[in-house]
Amino acid sequence: MGELLANRLKERRAELGLTQAELAERVGVTRKTVNTVENRVFTPSTLLALKLAEALDVTVEHLFWIDE
Amino acid sequence: MSDAEKAERLSQRRTRMLPVLTLLFLFQQATYFNRGAESGDRTVDHVHIAAWLVLSIVILVALANGGGWFYSREVRRLANDEATRAHRDSSFRAGFLASMAACVVLYSVSLFEPLGGRDAIHMVMTAGIAVTLLWFAFLERRASRDG
Repeated sequence: MGELLANRLKERRAELGLTQAELAERVGVTRKTVNTVENRVFTPSTLLALKLAEALDVTVEHLFWIDE
Repeated sequence: MSDAEKAERLSQRRTRMLPVLTLLFLFQQATYFNRGAESGDRTVDHVHIAAWLVLSIVILVALANGGGWFYSREVRRLANDEATRAHRDSSFRAGFLASMAACVVLYSVSLFEPLGGRDAIHMVMTAGIAVTLLWFAFLERRASRDG
């Protein structure tokens, strides 16, 4: 227990100059979901994690990792 | 306006409306219990109970499938995305536990005081639906907050 799924979603999104809403539209979710993933409130499914990685043009391992 | 923008607005409106809907629902329950549990055989009482039942069913169906019935399928799909579905699942779990807690309390009370079946069902449903609504509202509001 005590493990969290960390991510660099916000940094990568900023590098590409995307807003949360624009990223959300790319992966087919609402801005709220992107916000919760960025803030580690919500752990995304594998499907959404892969979609986010693809939309941000990085590998899923680069975008997400386990923070113990 | 794009489907994504419509879904965003639907999601925000739902977040704002949930606490109001919960208060409305609880207010209706308060008026039912203030009228006295035994006076339930007049026409006006049947109408009142029917109104409660209809509101309860509408809320339950909206909670179960996400609502937004006047929007397109795509907008509803977006507004009920992964995080929203997870919030709804968590809310139903909280609502179920609240219903069970209400059952335990009512069963204990019935050992000392007679309790009508209709009233007991009313209280169990009220506890379950109100807690589900409130928990869903809390989770949705927290998710919308910028981090």
